[in-house]
Amino acid sequence: MSYVQIDNLTKTYKDTIALNHLSLTFDKGEFVTLLGPSGCGKSTLLRSIAGLAPTEEGSIHVDGVDITHLKPKDREIGMVFQSYGLFPNMTVLENIGFGLRMKGMKKSEYEGKVKRMIELVDLVGKEQSYPHQLSGGQQQRVALARSLVMEPKILLLDEPLSALDAKIRKNLQVELRRIQRELSITTVFVTHDQEEALTISDRIFVMDLGNIVQSGNPEEIYTHPANEFVARFIGNYNVLRAEQLRQLTGGGSFAAVSYAIRPEVIQLFPEHAGPEPSGNGWLAAGKVKDITVTGNVLRYLVESQDQRLQVDHLNTAKELWIQRDMNVNVWIPAEECVPLG
Amino acid sequence: MKAGKLFHVSVVTLVMLYLFVPLAVTFLYSIATDWYRTFLPEGYTLNWYREMLTDPRLLEALWRTLFVTVFTIVLSILLMVPTIFIVTVYFSKWERLLQAIVMLPYAIPGVVAAVGLIRIYSDGPLAISGTVWIVIGAYFISILPFMYQGIRNSLRTVDAITLVDAAELLGASRIQAFRHVVLPNIMPGVMASVLLSFSILFGEFVLANLLIGGQYELLQVYLMRRMDESGHLSSAIVVFYFVLILILSGLILKFGRSAKEENA
Repeated sequence: MSYVQIDNLTKTYKDTIALNHLSLTFDKGEFVTLLGPSGCGKSTLLRSIAGLAPTEEGSIHVDGVDITHLKPKDREIGMVFQSYGLFPNMTVLENIGFGLRMKGMKKSEYEGKVKRMIELVDLVGKEQSYPHQLSGGQQQRVALARSLVMEPKILLLDEPLSALDAKIRKNLQVELRRIQRELSITTVFVTHDQEEALTISDRIFVMDLGNIVQSGNPEEIYTHPANEFVARFIGNYNVLRAEQLRQLTGGGSFAAVSYAIRPEVIQLFPEHAGPEPSGNGWLAAGKVKDITVTGNVLRYLVESQDQRLQVDHLNTAKELWIQRDMNVNVWIPAEECVPLG
Repeated sequence: MKAGKLFHVSVVTLVMLYLFVPLAVTFLYSIATDWYRTFLPEGYTLNWYREMLTDPRLLEALWRTLFVTVFTIVLSILLMVPTIFIVTVYFSKWERLLQAIVMLPYAIPGVVAAVGLIRIYSDGPLAISGTVWIVIGAYFISILPFMYQGIRNSLRTVDAITLVDAAELLGASRIQAFRHVVLPNIMPGVMASVLLSFSILFGEFVLANLLIGGQYELLQVYLMRRMDESGHLSSAIVVFYFVLILILSGLILKFGRSAKEENA
């Protein structure tokens, strides 16, 4: 039996289904991410695990114990909120020590533990500060330490980084992963940012409309999306129906309903040229309609046989020959066309 | 000076004069010996203040008013803070209902309320008409909108729901979460509501006069009755009252500001 086992969990809000007979399992020490657009039910699932959102059906087992109907305070689950949820009337030290104090420990007993936690999240020197004197990133570290000091069975993170600016977010992603590995704590992370999910997770559950549509490690999810929703959500995949692909490649048999092609696997060649040696794939004539620079990536919009394709290439000197409105040859490698269910 | 600026300055000056001249004259009248033959008073004296402050009726009325307002407000805090907290955090679907009920007193004029209350409570199981309790009851209702707004706004600004969730997940009971986490953070907001209610009740005349009048003379009623005796004395009382309310308002502003800064 897995460490965390969720069976047939169902929750509705008025007439919308937040969780649709959802089941999933994961193991001790895993860093699991729930990824999906807003309204897909990922936060509701997290709140259900925490006991903050009562469910109508189904069960949640942690370490073999049924916690479905336990009060939040008895579940031994830690949670970090997007809005931090720090207690404004307490210092960093008091915030982190709050849970231990509620357990009946005296300040002299828990102070050492709290100090170690402050070192772990790199906040030494801020013990006596109040939350409003800290930056957003620092506040989130306090919130993290406050949950971790309780040694919870599962740590839940509800979009903890989305209120922070890009650079601090990147740093905290790395920090979070380091701390999680150091304590090997079972973690459930919720985000709508696919890049963040791919960077940080051991395993990703992609959610849509209260269902889990795909699960797997980041590599699997990115290279083999199970359906059109995942393909569009996880990357900027070109999704083509079978007959569109047939039109593009000028023949061939395509069994699946539609196919996903990553923008970075499509190659561009000057007119009348092609790859050497040409492997298994298709060459089609096309025209560059637009070029955008996103930094390290050049993004081309190429039209070929009435199909529009997005093509991403690294922004290097090799790309300089490609201009807007230029006729080019488009190379689509056959093994990179992922059939979608 | 440009024409536009001159216009602004003169408008502001006129408004200030309009607001301050009556007060200044009232103050002057309260320290005048005689003031009817001359442009300025013939002489100055503090006798009126002395008479006012040494009148046992004034002190009695002041204590009564303090008792009624403090009792009402304490009762209101004890009942409304937990109620609004529970509705906001645990029963948010009832929030609109509570809001509607609490806003009702706005819609009912004091005179109408007083007549209705006297009729209902003059007999039957709860015959409290003519006692201090009917005033306390009516006052409790009339400050509900202010207490409700203040408390609910503080709960919203401190994001009480997340705080309670966080506290419960850290092992606190609901009561512990309220006491250790929510209450200390909404205190500045509650204090602002309290002072606002205090200054409203301190100046309330209609209910005080109609519900209980001379049977339990409150400061407002006392002031009204002494007006007929001597203009100088009542001016002194008005100034005294004004200073009291001014101090209260100053405190409200101070608390309101510190509450805002803390949440900034």
